Amino acid sequence: MKAKKPYKVAPDFSLTDTEGRTIKLSEYKGKQNVLLVFNRGFQ
Amino acid sequence: MAQLRLDHQQYVNRNTEIIAIGPEKAEAFKKWWDEHKMPFTGVADPKHVIADTYGQQVKLVKLGRMPASLLIDKSGQIRYSHFGESMSDIPESKEILTLIDEINKEQRE
Repeated sequence: MKAKKPYKVAPDFSLTDTEGRTIKLSEYKGKQNVLLVFNRGFQ
Repeated sequence: MAQLRLDHQQYVNRNTEIIAIGPEKAEAFKKWWDEHKMPFTGVADPKHVIADTYGQQVKLVKLGRMPASLLIDKSGQIRYSHFGESMSDIPESKEILTLIDEINKEQRE
């Protein structure tokens, strides 16, 4: 569903990805949109 | 995930990074990720750090067993959320891509 204004601010997080890189949400700020997909079954 | 893999380039074209988050252990997650040659970012979160943070701070429906998608714009605001009611209940890329187009347009204005 499309969010309504005022939009909520996405909480920052920092975790390591499959390539060993640190993925920090706030580093995308001002640069890119981000689609976060929570799922399971990756095994 | 298969659909996202197919549509990945369309997100790239729209300056959007896909980050998938799974509750599996890092090793198992990476194995699956590499086997499926996923072209975007994958993060194992076995301690549910991200899901807990989002559940508490944003008071979104508790992220848990079911799939969920959140679109965050360049300014860090949540513009779209979808909480699946079953494992196969995931949003259509078309809906999200259309919204990204709107967001990108408004950011240029």
